[in-house]
Amino acid sequence: MTRLFRSRWNRWLARRIPAAASVRLTQRQIFIIPSQVGAAFALALALMLLAAINYQNSLAYGLTFLLGSVFIVAILHTYRNLAGLELKAGGASAVFVGEQGRFRLRLESTQRAHQAIALGWPPGALQVHDVPAEGVSECELSIATQRRGWLRPGRLRVESRFPLGILLAWSWIDLDQALLVYPRPLAGELPLTAGSDDDQQEQGAHAQGQGTDDFQGLRSYQPGDSKRRMHWKAYSRGQGLLVKDFAALSGRDLCLDFDSLSGDVERRLSLLCHWVLHLSERQQPFALRLPGCQLAQDSGEQHREACLRALALFGSPP
Amino acid sequence: MSAPISIPRVSLSWLLVAQVLVIIPHLAHLPVWIIALWLGCAGWRIQIFRMRARYPNAWAKAGLMLGAAVGVFVSRGSLVGLDAGVVLLIAAFILKMLEMHTRRDALVLIFLGFFAVVTAYLFDDSIQLALFSLLPVTTLLAALIGLQQSGLAMRPWPTARLAAGLLVQALPLMLLLFVFFPRLGPLWSLPAPHSKGVTGLSDSMAPADIAELSRSTALAFRASFEGAVPPRDQLYWRALTLERFDGRRWSQASAAQLPLAPAWEKRGEPLRYSIVMQPSSQRWLFGLDVAETTLDQARQMNDFRLQRQQPVERSLLYQVTSWPQALREPAGTATGLRRALQLPATGDPRSRVWAAELKRRYPQPEELVQALLGHFNREPYGYTLRPPQVGVNSIDDFLFETRNGFCAHYAGAMTFVLRAAGIPARVVAGYQGGEYNPSGNYLQVRQFDAHAWVEYWQAGRGWVSVDPTFQVAPERIEQGLEEALADEQSFLESSPFSPLRYRQLGWLNQLRLSWDSLNYGWQRWVLGYQGAQQLETLQRWFGRIDARWIALSLVGGGGLLLSLLALWLFKPWQRERDLQRRLFQRFEQLLARHAVRRAPGEGARAYAERAMQALPEQAQAIRAFAAAYEAQQYAGGDASVVDLRMHLRALRRALPWRFTTGRRE
Repeated sequence: MTRLFRSRWNRWLARRIPAAASVRLTQRQIFIIPSQVGAAFALALALMLLAAINYQNSLAYGLTFLLGSVFIVAILHTYRNLAGLELKAGGASAVFVGEQGRFRLRLESTQRAHQAIALGWPPGALQVHDVPAEGVSECELSIATQRRGWLRPGRLRVESRFPLGILLAWSWIDLDQALLVYPRPLAGELPLTAGSDDDQQEQGAHAQGQGTDDFQGLRSYQPGDSKRRMHWKAYSRGQGLLVKDFAALSGRDLCLDFDSLSGDVERRLSLLCHWVLHLSERQQPFALRLPGCQLAQDSGEQHREACLRALALFGSPP
Repeated sequence: MSAPISIPRVSLSWLLVAQVLVIIPHLAHLPVWIIALWLGCAGWRIQIFRMRARYPNAWAKAGLMLGAAVGVFVSRGSLVGLDAGVVLLIAAFILKMLEMHTRRDALVLIFLGFFAVVTAYLFDDSIQLALFSLLPVTTLLAALIGLQQSGLAMRPWPTARLAAGLLVQALPLMLLLFVFFPRLGPLWSLPAPHSKGVTGLSDSMAPADIAELSRSTALAFRASFEGAVPPRDQLYWRALTLERFDGRRWSQASAAQLPLAPAWEKRGEPLRYSIVMQPSSQRWLFGLDVAETTLDQARQMNDFRLQRQQPVERSLLYQVTSWPQALREPAGTATGLRRALQLPATGDPRSRVWAAELKRRYPQPEELVQALLGHFNREPYGYTLRPPQVGVNSIDDFLFETRNGFCAHYAGAMTFVLRAAGIPARVVAGYQGGEYNPSGNYLQVRQFDAHAWVEYWQAGRGWVSVDPTFQVAPERIEQGLEEALADEQSFLESSPFSPLRYRQLGWLNQLRLSWDSLNYGWQRWVLGYQGAQQLETLQRWFGRIDARWIALSLVGGGGLLLSLLALWLFKPWQRERDLQRRLFQRFEQLLARHAVRRAPGEGARAYAERAMQALPEQAQAIRAFAAAYEAQQYAGGDASVVDLRMHLRALRRALPWRFTTGRRE
């Protein structure tokens, strides 16, 4: 029943407030209702009215009516505080699973100042911003990421209780924002296939070798480095955390292969992600092979982005 | 919303101010200890805010609450009832302030504050208080705004200005509600506030009591007549009759409370008027001679006084019709007449002897009364508010020794003599005269207008009023107490600053009368705007009305007022103006691409003319746009932006296309 209602509501909302990169709030988008504080205020007014009736006191009537009128006038003010506000989608940069996704947003006022505008995606906390008259307020909203792939935060809640807090004006707007969530990097074995050719034999050999030959030297530990390559002796001598670096990773064609890993898909993607980051940082060219998708050997920022994107979107419908 | 728990500084400051403003009107009826509690708690709260003290712990809170409750019980004798309730409310208001921690607490405090303002109205409903109470209401609203998480709410003055603005905008709607909202009768009875220390007539009278009253300038009531105000010597405002005499005091007979309507006959022209009575804590109402009132719960008692079921604890408006020439109980009742002949068994022997002698000389009651009045007139009786002391036989001493006194002495002595002569008689207590206020066309009657006179009964004629004081000091009746005491200089001698003493100062007197007139209007039209009065007023303004009509006018009027306010708030015409300006900016950008830039401060017309010279081929299109813009912007033309946009498009088409934008440097 509630699901039916929700889907109907969403469909109605989509018709009424269609997705757009820029939304100007008008009476079409704004809803308004007394808040909990408003209900308490109304209760207090009812008690005051009772006192006025029972004591036949004109001044008590007067104050009750005055505050009741303030309540009604506050509807206009609360609505006005939201109306005319223009929300524009800013960019959003990709993040890894577990990090906070950040959406940039521009709040523009064409006329009035807008006070205490709360924005966010419930049940998360809402952020409060003021927008100066004929001015702009930039804000960045964060949202928790749980899954890799495209993160569409859904409709953004915009609300305001200004000035008295007794009324709540709100809107659900869809700025058509999305951000890409990469898999969470996970340090581990190197899923290696040397070369981009499909030589089964060679692949097996290198997979066993795991690139641990040709010890090159030591470098300082970085998060994500395999514990197996830690130089424990140096650590015990008090030289800090050092990692044995292997020349095997350089000078040869590297191919990170999904199929050379075992375990569930997400773990494999996480491992691949780690190595993509690791190799990109060392500016070492590598290729990436996923079932149904292959990226040729390359290096550089663009290659890194392409690989991460492929990992993030792996398995999702094109 | 992740609301911070603490209360913003601005809100707290406004709450502290509001607390002062809410409590001030209550000071008159609060026990002293609560003021000490208030100052202590407010100081503590400020120290908490300055991080120099901690919040009270649970024990301290419980102790304070218990202490306050005990204090209320000790000083008010109970924990229920309005007086105790208000003290408890104020104590709660003070203590809640101390322990206020979260926004929720602040909200509770604000609502308590509104309530405390309402309770102040139950004790005092003057104009001054009504105006004053706008201050605490504004500050409480400012505190409510200060709870918002906005930059504006961080600054005290904008917060207060916004609160005041909201109140001003709410005023028209409030007036509409006030006028049209149907007034119901009380749903259940509630304890009424005790009007403490009300001066006024009481149900027993020794001469000293009236002397006491004559020192008070407090208002008793105001009266507006439908026609001309009757001459002053006919303004005998009856309150009650005093029929029991114990040798010292005259008091109301217990039988006067019996619900027996007296027999009477309407004669002569009636007088119609309305009275707004000040709280008297007594049940009787005032009226001229024999009066009838439309007031519910009020009735005529067997001595022709008007009496209500409940004491008058708040100012009360009622309509009265009086028949000054009415025939009152021409037949009389045996018990009534017996009451009017009661005398103490002993005492005042000389008066009794004198009465018997008068009775012998004047067998007709009327003659005897005339003889008595003539006696007061001829003999050297004096009118004074400083009468000499009298002994045990007060009537004897007054009639034959001191011969100086005021109305209460004369009325008492005359009634005594009439009764001793076998004529039923009684003392009437009330007010005489009143001051005419020309700016409001009404009479104001004050406590010093208190008066006592005599009614005697005669078969066939019924009760007849006579005033012995008139024989002694006619100026008291014809001009008032001040003139009667002109020689003695004793008028209001204990209140040297009363404006009533300076009636000869023209402007001061005018100011006093205007102020009183304003207060009277306030009482009649604001405080008295209840039940019947509301219905009557609405009918006078709008003709026949019913519930549906009232509902419709509430909804319609409210909708109209709100639309006007919305128009004023949103200013849709400004949006239009905005669009015009934006189109002009585009016009500017367009011309700037062709190297015609508007100089700072250059007017639209000068700029357009310069552009026309620079671009002669497009001059026509430029002129068309500029003319349309000017017409809309300055001449208040009502043309929409649509044709402005059309002109701009025409201009764009006329101009050769050029990509480089001429940004202003």
